[in-house]
Amino acid sequence: MSASLYTTRRIKNIVAMILSVAATCIGLLFLAWILWETLSQGIAGLKPALFTKITAYREEGGLANAMVGSLILNVLGILIATPIGVMAGTWLAEYSRRSKLGPTIRFLNDILLSAPSIVLGLFVYTIIVLPSKWLTNGDVTFSGIAGGIALALIALPVIVRTTDEMLRLVPGTLREAALSLGVPQWKLTVQILIRAARSGIVTGVLLALARISGETAPLLFTAFGNNFMTFNPIDKMPSLPQVIYEYTKDPSPDINTLAWAGAFVLTMFVLALSLIARFVFSRSKVSHD
Amino acid sequence: MTNMNEVASKPGFGTSPHESGVDLGQVPAKMTVRDLNFHYGEFHALKSIAMDVPEKKVTAIIGPSGCGKSTLLRIFNRIYAIYPNLRASGEIVLDGENILDPKYSLNRLRSKVGMVFQKPVPFPMTIFENVAYGIRHHEKLNRTDMEGRVEQALRGAALWDEVKDKLKQSALGLSGGQQQRLCIARGIALKPEVLLLDEPTSALDPIATSRIEQLVEELKSQFTIVIVTHNMQQAARCSDMTAFMYMGELIEFDRTEKIFTKPNKKQTEDYITGRFG
Amino acid sequence: MHATVSSNAPTTARAEEAARNARDTRNDRLFGGLLKACALLVLVSLIGAAASTLWLGRDAFATFGWGFLTSSEWDPSNNRYGALVPVMGTVTTALIALIFAVPVSFGIALFLTEIAPSWLRGPVSSAIELLAGIPSIIYGMWGLFIFAPFVATTIKPWLMNNFSADPPDGQVSWLVQHVPFIAKFFSSEYPFFGAGVLTAGLVLAVMIIPFISSVMREVFQTVPTRLKESAYALGSSTWEVVWDIVVPYTRTAVIGGIFLGLGRALGETMAVAFVLGNTFKFTPSILETGSSIASTIANQFGEAEGLQKSALMAIAFLLFVVTFIVLMIARLMLRRLASKEGS
Repeated sequence: MSASLYTTRRIKNIVAMILSVAATCIGLLFLAWILWETLSQGIAGLKPALFTKITAYREEGGLANAMVGSLILNVLGILIATPIGVMAGTWLAEYSRRSKLGPTIRFLNDILLSAPSIVLGLFVYTIIVLPSKWLTNGDVTFSGIAGGIALALIALPVIVRTTDEMLRLVPGTLREAALSLGVPQWKLTVQILIRAARSGIVTGVLLALARISGETAPLLFTAFGNNFMTFNPIDKMPSLPQVIYEYTKDPSPDINTLAWAGAFVLTMFVLALSLIARFVFSRSKVSHD
Repeated sequence: MTNMNEVASKPGFGTSPHESGVDLGQVPAKMTVRDLNFHYGEFHALKSIAMDVPEKKVTAIIGPSGCGKSTLLRIFNRIYAIYPNLRASGEIVLDGENILDPKYSLNRLRSKVGMVFQKPVPFPMTIFENVAYGIRHHEKLNRTDMEGRVEQALRGAALWDEVKDKLKQSALGLSGGQQQRLCIARGIALKPEVLLLDEPTSALDPIATSRIEQLVEELKSQFTIVIVTHNMQQAARCSDMTAFMYMGELIEFDRTEKIFTKPNKKQTEDYITGRFG
Repeated sequence: MHATVSSNAPTTARAEEAARNARDTRNDRLFGGLLKACALLVLVSLIGAAASTLWLGRDAFATFGWGFLTSSEWDPSNNRYGALVPVMGTVTTALIALIFAVPVSFGIALFLTEIAPSWLRGPVSSAIELLAGIPSIIYGMWGLFIFAPFVATTIKPWLMNNFSADPPDGQVSWLVQHVPFIAKFFSSEYPFFGAGVLTAGLVLAVMIIPFISSVMREVFQTVPTRLKESAYALGSSTWEVVWDIVVPYTRTAVIGGIFLGLGRALGETMAVAFVLGNTFKFTPSILETGSSIASTIANQFGEAEGLQKSALMAIAFLLFVVTFIVLMIARLMLRRLASKEGS
């Protein structure tokens, strides 16, 4: 009786082990499949014109303006989100101890982190694009600024959260040591704590950048897109994900190929960023002991 | 059963070598504590503490874990004020003023009362900057004066010779013992009158520990020192007065040699002889 | 402080100190205020997102009333709109995604925490995280160009042969003959077309797998080793330790992780925009094309005007509310585990 019980248990265990290995293989299979397709289709579409010509020339052109536009939009987004995010995260970690608002904001930040980006895009449409249209009598509608702000909204909760967590890892005695010298809280926060958490915060910014680099939906109603190269943030601005989106829907196979090439470049960029972020973070851990 | 004579004759125990002849009754009190009570929320952590901390002497606070010795120490520079739900009542008089009075500026208190913590906490800056940091906040000194002050502090902490060539390097590269001496330098750079040491050697190896103990011996000529330690031998070696605490109460406070040879209270004797704690 | 001696040194030193004290307090207050303002922006963004979509969607809500939620019409030429089809599409694709993603994620989490030898853990978990980093538009492209055709040639025919009333090979299966009700879920107007609700759900599933599995893994790792060791010491197998100890201990958080994945899946646009088909038929079949809230907005907002735009904003508001509630539940459940740990 007990022998058969033991066998049943063993079988259950083995089945479970097999299924879990199978699940992992499924996951890795899809990863390999997607990466492989992106690589093969993308590399096939690579040509120098990709980086030098603009989308206005369609099949004969490239993605240069989209890449530049993405760069500008991402930089705008990070420039806006980083100071606000670091300050908000600092408030949560250092100043919200006595306030009930602290846990609430932390909670809401977590929700903002996973909120649908398309809705955030519509929010920026409502508060930036529509008023611009009204104020300038239709001259300025969609713009790079609106796109940058939309991306900033998506990057913000990532930076807030990393800053908050990194600062909370700083040992309490460091704070006490500075306060014992009679140094005021604000100086201690800016000169010591932020410096101590510096690499963690940088990692957060890099991760936020990786995230917004791949965002498409919110840009559709803010930066909108532009077939020509522009450096003016008040202009409509193209971006790589948005062009990929349009080129994917396009019936022409050559355009689709360009989309794949763009997808390849985008994926490589995002993966490289994530690797750099990981590298920065692991370096920091070593130096602090 | 261990008796006090056996304990007192063990190596490491014994009276502080320099104080056996001095009558501590003649020494003025730097800080006078009266009826001090402290609460963590509902918990009554310190109960009616009263003691006179003598000037330019070393006072040790000993007791088992959780007895409140660190809590008491941290009241002397009101570092507890940054945490919510911690309240102190009573009186601690320093130079004629009650430092627990809300009107007594924290800045002023902390320039008079410095603190060194259990785990060395160098700031993420250069060695020079670590020492200069606190000074900068209180005084405007030109470059030469600042360098002089930093050197003075580092010499006072017996660290100057080891770091004089690498002042611009990160403080994080120093060894544990050196970092702790750096923290001491940082503390004395402000020229406080009282120096609080919270288990300053518990994170250090024996050699670093004995260097710090030597340093304490030298520093007491300039500063009033209060040291919390869980190491009784350290208290016996380094201090002039010892306070024994248990469960938030000050059980006995007397000259070190008396506490360790003929304590008045049974609880003190039990602790010293290792029956508990 | 031992100031240099002069007749009024103590007074000036004191006065300087008082001034510095006042300045420090003022700076502290300003600084704290600035930081707080930034933190409040998080709150403002969420409120703003909800308010703006509600405000611009008010026309649609006003025109159609409660019927907006139950109507399956979406007719720009006659200006009649109803949220039912997009909402159903959003929910169905997300649920299909969960049905596939949860077991696979669980398997991966189990593998990485209990089975894999330590040298394998790092590379495999990094690989899975790589999946999370791939932008969703790439998933969309892969879905459209690679996966949908694959579904059209392999999965869909098999499903239709076995579960639909109009199988490609002409022979209605035994199951459908005796339980004809099933065929409703597997019918398709264009049997050789790969796009559809199921395809979209599967693409979404692959997308949220790394997400859910990493939450599960983190959660599994919080189980105290001592707890597991005692079970092993009693002779439990790995599976038993996981099923009887780890899962019950982390149950709430695991569900929280699943809700988190659900929240992400509901809001996803690009992964499904290409493979859903963007039609507005009200049909229970998962092999038919459909639409989701996010994909509808992405496809139509550019050219929409007036009432259509308002309708799009209205469904955006619905999406926001539903996602907010799901994410809130998720976070609450995850927090319960954190407090159990005493963090």
